[in-house]
Amino acid sequence: MKTRYNLANHANFEMKKKAYWHRLLTQFGSRELSKAQIFWRQRAKRIAINLFLGFHILAITCWCVPLDTPLFSLGKNLVRPYFLWAGLFQSWDMFAPTPALANSYVEAIVVYKDGSRRTWSFPRMEQLSLSDRYFRERYRKFSENLQNDQNDALWPDVARRIARANSTPSNPAKTVILVQRWSPIVPRADGSYQPEPWDQHVLYGYGVKREDLQ
Amino acid sequence: MMLRSLLRSWNTFFFEKQSPTPIALFRIAYGVLVIATLLLLRPDWLTWYGTHAWISLRTMQTIEPGRRLDLFTIIPQTDGWIDALFWGVLSSAILLTLGLFTRINSVIVFVCLASIQQRNLFITNSGDTFLRVTGFFLIFAPAGATLSLDRLTRIWRGKEDVLIRPQSPWAQRMIQIELALLYFAAFCWKVKGPLWLHGTALYYVYHLDAIKRFPVTSWLLRPTMLKLGSWSALTLEFSLGVLIWIKKLRYILLALGLLFHLCLEYSLNVPMFQWDVLSAYILFVDPAHITRASNWIRRRVFASEINR
Repeated sequence: MKTRYNLANHANFEMKKKAYWHRLLTQFGSRELSKAQIFWRQRAKRIAINLFLGFHILAITCWCVPLDTPLFSLGKNLVRPYFLWAGLFQSWDMFAPTPALANSYVEAIVVYKDGSRRTWSFPRMEQLSLSDRYFRERYRKFSENLQNDQNDALWPDVARRIARANSTPSNPAKTVILVQRWSPIVPRADGSYQPEPWDQHVLYGYGVKREDLQ
Repeated sequence: MMLRSLLRSWNTFFFEKQSPTPIALFRIAYGVLVIATLLLLRPDWLTWYGTHAWISLRTMQTIEPGRRLDLFTIIPQTDGWIDALFWGVLSSAILLTLGLFTRINSVIVFVCLASIQQRNLFITNSGDTFLRVTGFFLIFAPAGATLSLDRLTRIWRGKEDVLIRPQSPWAQRMIQIELALLYFAAFCWKVKGPLWLHGTALYYVYHLDAIKRFPVTSWLLRPTMLKLGSWSALTLEFSLGVLIWIKKLRYILLALGLLFHLCLEYSLNVPMFQWDVLSAYILFVDPAHITRASNWIRRRVFASEINR
C-alpha cells in the first residue's frame, strides 16, 4: 500500500516537474523542434565534432612527432598558444634521443654566518627504501632538471629554500653553493660495469639575504 | 570514389556506435591512477606547490610565460587554499572513479591536473603528461554511460532501462590515437639517437643508479642481450604506434606491450608511468570480448558460490 502511494506520489512529482520545465522553456521562447531542425542541428554537431577531431589529430601529431620538416614546425608554432593554454603539450622522449650518460646528483654546500659549513643533498633514490622511492621520485626528476643549464632560472629559488631549511636564528646561512656531482657510465667490451670516480661542477652560488630566511 | 570510402571509414571509426563499457572501464582505471598519483604526492603537496615551495609561482610564470589554464594563478596564495585544491581534486577523482556526476568531475579532474602540472613543470614525468592529455579527451567521452552511479541513478529514476545503450566512440578513439602517437613519437625520438640504433642505449639506462628498482639478472645485462633489448624496444614501440590499428595483430601487440611495461615496472623506478599507459590498453579491447570475459567471471563466481 505504502509502495503504491509512493509510486503515485513520484509520478505526480515527475508530471509537475515536466510541466514546470515546459512553462519555463516556453517563457524563454523555446518551442518544439521540427524534424528538419533536428536534422540540421545533428548535422552541425557532427561537423563541429569532425573539425575538432581533425584539428586535434593534426595538431598532436605535429606537436609530438619529432620530424624536422617545415610543415611540422609550422604546425607546432601555430598550435603552441592553444596547447600551452589548454595543457595539451606533450613530449615522449623517454631516454631519447640519448639516455643520460652519467650518474649524477645535486648537493648544496651551506656556509653559515659563523664560518662553518654543511653539505645538504637532495634525496637520492639509490639511498632510499623501495616505498620511499615511490613517494620521493619527484626529487629525482627535479634534481635532474636542476642540472640543465637551460633551467638556471630555478637556481635562486632552490638556494633560498635550502638556506631557509638549514638556518637557525642564532646561526643563519650566509651562502649556498649548488654543486653537481657526476660519474660517467663507461661501457666495457665484456659488458661489465665499473663505477667511475665522481667529478663535480659548481652550478651556482647565492648570497643569502635576511628576507630570504623569513 | 576513394574519398568516399575514406569518409565512410572515418565515420565508421569515429561514429559507429558501440558499447561504452571500454571507456567506462578506462574511467575507473584512470580515476584510480589519479588518486594514486595524488596520494603519492600527498606528503609533498605544500613542498612543491605551497607558498614556500621549491619554485615560486612568480618564477614559474617567468620561465613559462603566456596564458595557461592554471588555477594556482586564480586562488589566493595561502597554504590553506592550496591544500583545499588538492583535497578538491582528490574528491573529484574519487567521484569520477565511482561515476557520480561523471562529466563535471572529469572536467574538474582535468583542470586541476593541468593546473598542478603547470604550477611546477620540473617535477612532471611522462605518466603525469599522459594522465593530463587523456583526461582532456575523457571529458568528451560517455564515460558514465555504464558501470557508474550515474547510470544507477538514471535507471532508478526510470530514465534508462537495464540495457546499455551504444554510444558514439569518437572521444575514446582520440585517447587510443593519443596512446598510439605516444609509442610512435617515442620510437621517432629513439631512432634519432645513435646509441639506440647501435643497440647500446639500454646499457646506460640500466646503469643509472637513480632509476634502478629491483636487481636485473647479470646475463640480461650482457652486450648481446642489451642490444637485443634496445632493438626490441624500438620494434615494439613502432608496432604499438602503427600496427596496433591492424585488428589481427592487436591482441598479440597488447600482450607484448603488457610484458614490456611489466618488465620496465620491475626494473626501473618510474612510478605510475607503466600503469598510466597500460590503463589505456582497455580501450583497444573489443567490447564483445569484455562482455564475454565478464560473463565468464560471473559464471565462475556464481559457480563457486553455489558449490559453497
